[in-house]
Formats: sequence, structure tokens, C-alpha cells
Amino acid sequence: MSIALSRNRMLAFSLPALIAILPFLGACFYIFRFSISGDKASIDGYSIKAYLDLMTPFFGRSVWVTIKLAFIATIAAMLMAVPLAFLLTSLKSPLARRILTVTILLPLILNLLVQAYGWILLLGPSGVLNSALRGMGIIERPIFLLFNETGVLLGLIQTSLPLAVFPIVSSVRGLSQEHLEAASSLGASQWRIFFDVTVPLLRPGIVGAASIVFAFNASAFAIPLLLGGRRVQMLGVAIRDMISPMFNWSGAAAAGMILISLTLLILVFSSWLVRVTSERTRG
Amino acid sequence: MSVQDLHLHIDSVSKNFGGVQALTNVDLKIERGSFVCLLGPSGCGKTTLLRIIAGFENVDSGRLMLDDNDISMMPPHKRGFGMVFQSLALFPHMSVAQNIAYGLKLRGVSASAQRDRVDELLHVIELPNIADRPVSALSGGQRQRVAIARALAIQPPLFLLDEPLSALDAKLRDNMQIELRQLQQKFGVTTILVTHDQHEAMMLADELVVMKNGKVFQSAPPSTVYQRPADSFVADFLGAANIVSAKVSSKGQIELLDRNFDVAVDHPVGTNINVAMRAEHIKLTAEDQAKGNPIGTVEFIRDLGPSTELVIKVSDERLRVRSDNATMSELKLSQKVGVVIDSNTLSIFRA
Amino acid sequence: MRVGLLPNEGGGTYRFTMLFLATIGILISSLPVIVVTIMSFSASDNTGFPPTEFSLRWYADVIALFVNEDTSSAQSVVDSTLTSILVAVIVMVISTLVCIPLAYALVRGQRKIREGMELLFTLPLVFPLVILGIAFLLIAESLRVEIGIWRIVIPHLALVLPFVLRNCIGAMNGISIELEEAAISLGASPLRAIWDVVIPLMRAGILAGLIFALIISFNEFTITFFMYTIDVSTLPIWMYSRTVSSLDPSTLALSVFIIVADIVLIMLVDKLIAGRANLF
Repeated sequence: MSIALSRNRMLAFSLPALIAILPFLGACFYIFRFSISGDKASIDGYSIKAYLDLMTPFFGRSVWVTIKLAFIATIAAMLMAVPLAFLLTSLKSPLARRILTVTILLPLILNLLVQAYGWILLLGPSGVLNSALRGMGIIERPIFLLFNETGVLLGLIQTSLPLAVFPIVSSVRGLSQEHLEAASSLGASQWRIFFDVTVPLLRPGIVGAASIVFAFNASAFAIPLLLGGRRVQMLGVAIRDMISPMFNWSGAAAAGMILISLTLLILVFSSWLVRVTSERTRG
Repeated sequence: MSVQDLHLHIDSVSKNFGGVQALTNVDLKIERGSFVCLLGPSGCGKTTLLRIIAGFENVDSGRLMLDDNDISMMPPHKRGFGMVFQSLALFPHMSVAQNIAYGLKLRGVSASAQRDRVDELLHVIELPNIADRPVSALSGGQRQRVAIARALAIQPPLFLLDEPLSALDAKLRDNMQIELRQLQQKFGVTTILVTHDQHEAMMLADELVVMKNGKVFQSAPPSTVYQRPADSFVADFLGAANIVSAKVSSKGQIELLDRNFDVAVDHPVGTNINVAMRAEHIKLTAEDQAKGNPIGTVEFIRDLGPSTELVIKVSDERLRVRSDNATMSELKLSQKVGVVIDSNTLSIFRA
Repeated sequence: MRVGLLPNEGGGTYRFTMLFLATIGILISSLPVIVVTIMSFSASDNTGFPPTEFSLRWYADVIALFVNEDTSSAQSVVDSTLTSILVAVIVMVISTLVCIPLAYALVRGQRKIREGMELLFTLPLVFPLVILGIAFLLIAESLRVEIGIWRIVIPHLALVLPFVLRNCIGAMNGISIELEEAAISLGASPLRAIWDVVIPLMRAGILAGLIFALIISFNEFTITFFMYTIDVSTLPIWMYSRTVSSLDPSTLALSVFIIVADIVLIMLVDKLIAGRANLF
């Protein structure tokens, strides 16, 4: 009789959670099956017609817009996430740390509609930004920031920022102050320390965070729907338009499979990248 | 080894972890009320053996006999052996009293009887006023005593300790060793303690079990293990011993440090042997009083207060010498000295 | 500290650049919420900025919405709110109940299995929500029976499992197996040891997971956008249908209630895990 977990008890303990996630796995399979269905509106037979039908300039543009916006938003989020992670870990006062944590985390969790309202109020023709710019006499007519790529981009950066900050925070916690002081004692400036010591040590965390942020942004739906209108056809919105108003279920499923492949590809590639680079630093 | 009143018999126990032989045919007889220390370097299997006795690991072969009952397959919670862990494993969400009473609560002891027993134990460990404190408010030594009290509260047939003192600083550890020994004698409980600290083992044990690579090398009272180590590993592991290679030169004589010594040896003439000699058994004299003893050169000397530590180079061997003779500290580096070795203090092993 | 990730003295352009970028990040994160809050106190009917006068009239409107049942709309705000809360509570309870034993099994079990399972339970986090919404919709439509509120509960469950599991594993990680063995050596059966020692020590992490599940389910929009029906709809959907054509200030007042509730709950989670574990 050993205390080590027996296979049976392990299974019994895991079973409830496995049952809870089963519908999700079922949904994944269902989408895959529908995408190779021979019929547009039901699962019937096999065909790759749904995929072939997607080979249009319109869908190609949608893929391009998705990749472009997700990529720019990821770079922008990472540029802000690293300093924010440094700030979060170097705050001494627990209250300040808690307020900053809530400020960063809130956009990920808060009802997306509320945030869209905020952006509409900020960027709209009579919104905060336009009023301010007009008040200062910089512009005469309102500039259009909403229902185009700028608005979507800002929304994407805002909602994905927490996904970038918190993984980096846990990497930063593993970073020893002594590494930095050692580099400094050898004569490195702050920027040199940053590029020669900090960034290489944080690379696995940064790459991992960036891949999740990219996957999250590429599959965004609510933000482009609410802030981009019909004009910014990211894949999420394009897929929705296939089922309503067009009722092209198998086409939506096929487009969905392409979107999933895109995000999985990024995730696999980044974990490979982390493994390769960390093997090299280990020598 | 003769056992008067056999309590636990570890009957040729073997254990394999994924291809690594953790224990090989370990056979020990443990006397009722005795204090047994399992001693050895890390990875020697001592902790595995203790966990097998506690029931946290299965035996692959062999048996555990407690008072003639085979307990090999009994689950750990039915054995009721109190155990003190390396981390102490005090429950952080319970008060001191709740920790000590936990085993009694599981046995359905009434609340008032639990309280009485807790009070009694807190008096024994001389911490009568800490019952309601959270564990986190205790000092290292206090935690130690509470962990011991918690294990003893259930009046265990066997009291098991896994390196319980290793987290304490040196001075506190010395005091706790004495207290632990006194507590064990007060309760008269058969005790098995795992340690890698030979000083601790010598302080506590009635019976010292020296282990390496999953095998028992020697099992005997501490003084026997020290004076008559069973082999060069035991000699080296226990205390500062010099292991020097030598040769049987003729019947009843060995050639050691280019001199002949009269020693009773069974090995045939010409056999290469290892000789272990304790640092404190080597005496030094002035060079002109060596009287045929080997001559060496002082290479290192340090006055430690109660004793002096030296390294003497004698014909290519370096000998560690420890002496409580105050005049030793007057020796100088590179000075020649006579090295006096009493052949009765030598332990001889085949090379 | 003169040398550091963010030196608090000296540091020159490095320190300036880092603080500048961090400030922009904070502004992007917080400005929308701040503007919504300010505008909700505006006295005017339109949403022009800055408000010329302040009042609580939109808050009065929201309270009136809840108190005076509006029978003209198909799905009242009261029904939506109650559905939202009911869904969130069911999701919270089920996800926590299934994640506690799983976290135990993963932390105490073999490493290989643990890595695989953690990956499986992270999938919903990176899976495109639109597709999930469509898939769940198709499955729900193909079922012959009406499953009522469960058509929203089941997808939400998949969505919150990664967060709850991470919190439970984080709580479980810190519990030494020696504590369990100590309980067992004192006579507790393995299950009793889990109940007496492991569960009480996991409590903070379990609570954090519970609250996380509550917030995420309560705020979820995308999947529910596909799954809602005339009978089963949630508060975010109600807000969307109300503002699909134009933004009305009373919705902003309602948003402020949600913002405050979320902030309080996140603070609570952060306090519970107190820097010991990662939020996700």
C-alpha cells in the first residue's frame, strides 16, 4: 500500500473535469467534420469544396487584414508589456501594486461592450480626442478613428495587453537582481544590461506571451465587430457573416479551421522557438 | 548481534525504483525500546527504508515483522507509527493544540481526553503555554518539539524520524539531540531515526546502522562502529579517519609507512590491505625521540582551541592528526616530527 | 537601487523610455473605462465630450429599468440579469468542483500526464471564440431537446476551466506531500488526509478560482452572442441589443455598475492569491 496516487484514483479524480471539457472537444470535432461536409447546411458526405470556395480575393484580404492587425497589435502590446511588467514587479506598496494589477487585468475580463463604449466615446467624431484636438486648434474637421483599422487596433491592444503582461511578470520574478548588478559591475550601461542580460533571460517568457497575444488577437471577434463595423473584415467577423446572413455553415466551418490552424501554427512555432533558444543558452 | 526482545524485524527487504536498486536484502532486528539510527550519505537508501517501515512505500521482496505480525501490506494509516518529517510537516492551518490532538481526534478520543493529553505533552516538551498559538508563530526549536509531541501523542509502537534536526542551526541542534534522547527514554518507545550527520547518530543511537548504496554495511552500537569499523567506507564515514594502503609483510606483521607493525591479520603474506587510523589516535613526538617510529613533516597546523589539527606528510601519505595536547600548537610548519601509531587502534581491510 | 529593471534613481534614457511606454500602456488600459465612468454622470442626452453638466439622472434611469418592469420588450433587463447571475453561479460551482480533484491528481500524479492535461485544459483559452460559438450553436440546434439555460452554461464552463484549474493547481503546488503523509502517519486514510489537510490549505486558491469563474462567465459576450435565445439571454446581450444602433447614456450608467463589481472582485482575487500564484 503506497501513498503514491494509483492509476485508478488518478482517473477518478480527473473524470469530472474531463466530462466538463467533453462538450468543448465535441465542438472542436464538430467544426472539423462540418468543414469537410458535402453539403453547405448540414453534415452530409465528404468534400473539400468548402475550402476551395474560400479561395477568393475577398477571403484572402480577410486573412491578410487579420494577420496584419494581429501582428501590429502584438508588437505594440509587447512594447508596453515589458515595461509594465518591470513596473509591476518593482512597486513596493501593495496598494499601488494591486491598483496597477486591476488596471491592467480589467480589460481582459470586463464585458467587451463596456470597453467598446469607452472607445466609441474616446474616438468618435464628437469624442474626447476629436474635441481635444479641435479645442487646441490642431484640426478643423473631426478625424475618423472609429470603424476603421485604427479603432480596431487600439481595442485589440487594450484587451490583449494583460495576456502579455502577466506571463512576463512571472518570468521577471525568476530574474535575479544579481545578474543585473554583475553586468553593471563589469561596466554595462542600463541599455546594454537590458539588451545583453534582461531580454535574453526573459526571452522564453516574451516569446510565449507574444504567441498567446497573437493567437488571441487573430481570433478576435467582438472588438472588430463593435469597433470596426463592416469595414474591417477580420476573420472572426467574416466567419460570422458567412452564417448570417449567408447561411454558409460549411464555409464558416472551413474558414474556422483555417483560423484555428493559423493560431495553432503560431503557438507550435513559438514553443519550438523557445525550446531551441533555451537549449542554446544552456549550452 | 543478539536481540533480547525483538520488536521489529526487517526481513531481507529489497526495493527497486524504476531500475534503480534502492535497497538490497536489508535485514535488521530492532530491539524493543531501543534507539536506532540509520546513517549514510545521501542516496544510500536510509530514507527509503524508513518510508517502507512507515508504509509509504511497498516492499518488492522481503517482509516487515512487528511483534511476529507481518505488516508489509498494511496501509500506512493503519500502522499508527508516529513520524516526524524533515520539513516537520506541522499543519499550518491548525493551532499547536489542534496539531497535537489531530491523531487523537482521528481515533475518536473525547474532546476532554484530547485536551488532557495535549496538556500533558506540552508539559513534557516544556512549552506549557503555547497550546493556542498558530504554528507560524513558533521558533524553529519550538516547532521541532511540537512535531515530536504530535507523533508521540498517539502512543505509537514505533517512533520514526526523518532527518528531523537538519533544519536547525548547529547550537540548537546539539541541544535538541540531548532533549530528543531524553524524551525517547522517558517514553521508552522504539525509535528509528534517519540522519546523514555522524555526530548526531553517535549522540543518539543505541544501535547504529551504516548504509551505502542500498546495503547495510555495519549494524552495531556506536562505540563498536567507531572503534571496529567493518570496512574502510564505515571507517571513513565515521569521524576523521586516515585510510592508508599497506601490505602484509610477514605472518602477524604489516608494512605501513615503511615500517613494520605487529598486527593480527588473517590475510596471506603479500596481500595489499587498507589500514584505517583515527586522527586522534596518532601521537606525535619530537624528531629525536622517534625511537624508530616513522618521521614526518608538518604541512598544516591549526589551533582549534580545545584541540590542534595537523596534516603530517609521512613517506608520500598525508595523515590528519588531531591532538588535545597543548604543546602541539608550538610545532612549526616544515618541522620534522616522530609519528607514533598504536597498532591496537588500527582497523585493517582488504584493499 | 541604482541598477535594476526599473532603477529608481539615475537610469537616464532607459528609465525614461520604460516609464513612458508603461504610462502609454496604463492609459490604453484605463482610458475607455474612465471615459465611460465620466460620461455616465453627464446631464445631457448626447454623448459629446466633455459633459457640460453632471447629474445622476442616468443612474436613476437604470434603477427605474430594474424596478418598473418594462413589458414591451421581449426580454427585460431584470430577466437578463437574473439569467446572467444564475449562469455565472452554476458555472462557478461546477468548474470549481471538477477542478479541485483534477488539480490534486495532476500535482500528485506523473509529470508526463500533467503536462498533457494542462495543455488540454489550456486549449479553450486560445481557441477562437467565434468558432466555438458557432460549433456550440450547431450542436445545440441539432439536439432534439430544449436544454434551456444549459445552452449557455456548458460553453461558459469550457471557457472558465483554464482559469479555475490554474488557480487550483497554483494552490495545490505549495502543499508539501509531507503534510499529507504526516496526517496519514497519524492515522488518517488518504482521502481523509486530503479533506483535513489539502482542502483547507487550498482554500484561498479555490476561492480565487470561484471568483474568476464568476467574473468571466458574467462578462462573457462572444459565445453567448451565438447561443442566446428569446427565452435565455444574458445582460451583455441585452446591452448589445439596446445599443446596436446608438449609444444611450443609461447603458453607460449600467456599465459603471458592472465595472465597479468587476474591480471589487478582481481586488478580492488578487488579495486571495497575494502574489503567490499567477493570475493565469
